[in-house]
Amino acid sequence: MLRHQDDAPATVAEPAPLIELRGVDKTFGPVKALSGFSARIGRGEFVTVVGPSGCGKSTLFNIVAGLEEPDPGGALRFEGQSCHAADLLGRVSFMPQRDLLLPWRNVIDNAILALEIEGRPRKEAREEALRMLPEFGLAGFEAQYPHQLSGGMRQRVALMRTFLFERDLMLLDEPFGALDALTRTLMQRWLLDVWQRHRRTILFITHDVDEAIFLGDRVLVMTARPGAVKLEQRIDLPRPRRPDLVTAPEFIRLKRTLLEAIEEESLKSFQIAEEKA
Amino acid sequence: MSAALAASPPAAPRAAGLARRIGLRVAALLAVALAWEGLVILFGIRPFYLPRLSAVLAAILATPGAYAAGFLRTLTETLIGFVTGGAFGVAVAVAFLRCRTLREMVFPLFVVSQTIPVIAFGALVVLWFGNTLMAKAVIAFYLTFFPVTVNALIGLESVDPRQIALMRSFGASPRQILTRLQLPSALPQTFVALRLAASLSLVGAIVGEWFGDTTGLGVLLLQAMYNENVVAIWAALLVSALLGTGFYAAVAFLERRLVFWGAEQ
Repeated sequence: MLRHQDDAPATVAEPAPLIELRGVDKTFGPVKALSGFSARIGRGEFVTVVGPSGCGKSTLFNIVAGLEEPDPGGALRFEGQSCHAADLLGRVSFMPQRDLLLPWRNVIDNAILALEIEGRPRKEAREEALRMLPEFGLAGFEAQYPHQLSGGMRQRVALMRTFLFERDLMLLDEPFGALDALTRTLMQRWLLDVWQRHRRTILFITHDVDEAIFLGDRVLVMTARPGAVKLEQRIDLPRPRRPDLVTAPEFIRLKRTLLEAIEEESLKSFQIAEEKA
Repeated sequence: MSAALAASPPAAPRAAGLARRIGLRVAALLAVALAWEGLVILFGIRPFYLPRLSAVLAAILATPGAYAAGFLRTLTETLIGFVTGGAFGVAVAVAFLRCRTLREMVFPLFVVSQTIPVIAFGALVVLWFGNTLMAKAVIAFYLTFFPVTVNALIGLESVDPRQIALMRSFGASPRQILTRLQLPSALPQTFVALRLAASLSLVGAIVGEWFGDTTGLGVLLLQAMYNENVVAIWAALLVSALLGTGFYAAVAFLERRLVFWGAEQ
């Protein structure tokens, strides 16, 4: 919470952001997915991104994960240095929407996949993963295969794989989207707990406003396509965040502001669709 | 045979299930054997059409050496053709996956090669390799590699692109993506072809022997036919069936061992 002492607006420069995007565009043929997207994410910050569906959230993530190059013109800086998206491959730990576990690998071997690719000896990587199992609620399940696990457990294995791949920036793309509401809130609290201990920088996509506020230090609301930042909302709710926070008046106030912004954008994307039709 | 060996849940019920299935299969085989013997006697079928099973078995036991030698020889030819054909098929599928141009150039030639009847091709192979074991293995190879190529390629191409993206985001090289993701993902589909190839490679080996050789199940079949020795034909047939079934079962067993996760995802 060190960086959050000043009450200055979020647009004021913060010291040395871990990653910075400035005026990033991305077009796929006739479709403009991102237009002038700008954001700065500081070290150790938990930033959540919400927006109407089809607003280019996934495109944004693919760029930050290094999988997709933005159109020429925008600026991408990582650790203070200007870089190409491809330079980020192997430097960001990325967790896609689906767990994407390999069905022929058991829990441990799925968790160490990224370490193995880095060239770490398997034995050493397995030992490290074994030590981490209890924290992820997977103690005793190391030899199980993905088809033997519940959805929530599979998701935790995928998260563990992301955490074991120790990179400063973690990208989580709707990691709890496919879970039922109860498991989801449990996983959110658990994620905050783990994050507070490991202190990584997290960029988290969601379409659930509650989730965005509950988890984030800052929420970025995206515009309808082409995606840009519509609103940047600092969440000054105290940590550790308790489950009953979601009913607190400050929480509701923030939620109202965010929902208004999102709804405006959702309506816009509907209108665009109607005009085209 | 047990599925999911590597998953290792309780072993006892599984073993019991296995014993039960083997028992059922043995019982079915015995029933067929009894029916064969019984119907021949009951309807007085002439041995020219269908000899008694006991007579066929007696013929095998009279000269077990010849049948065992034939079995081993044909098995060797089949195995060499099957293994090289399978390996070549997978290698070509990987090459096709990596290089689109190569695929567009070579794939039609492969299809053409497979439309040539194996008999016509066999004559050529015998000219090239003579009456050697290699000639038969080449014919078995010829029948094996194509279905393996096609199926392995389908398997390699059906890998979830998001899975590849994830591997890339970890900084994986194309080689690591191939060995850790694409090849294992293609395994279920490849095994579909390998099971087919198990039967085809045996056909190739036997047909190859018809072009000339001194040992092998194909040779035994041909000799029996020329001598109009019906019992010997049935004996050679029975041993071939044993080889074919055994080989298929071995491949199917290997499949269940390696592809224990089933058709998930």
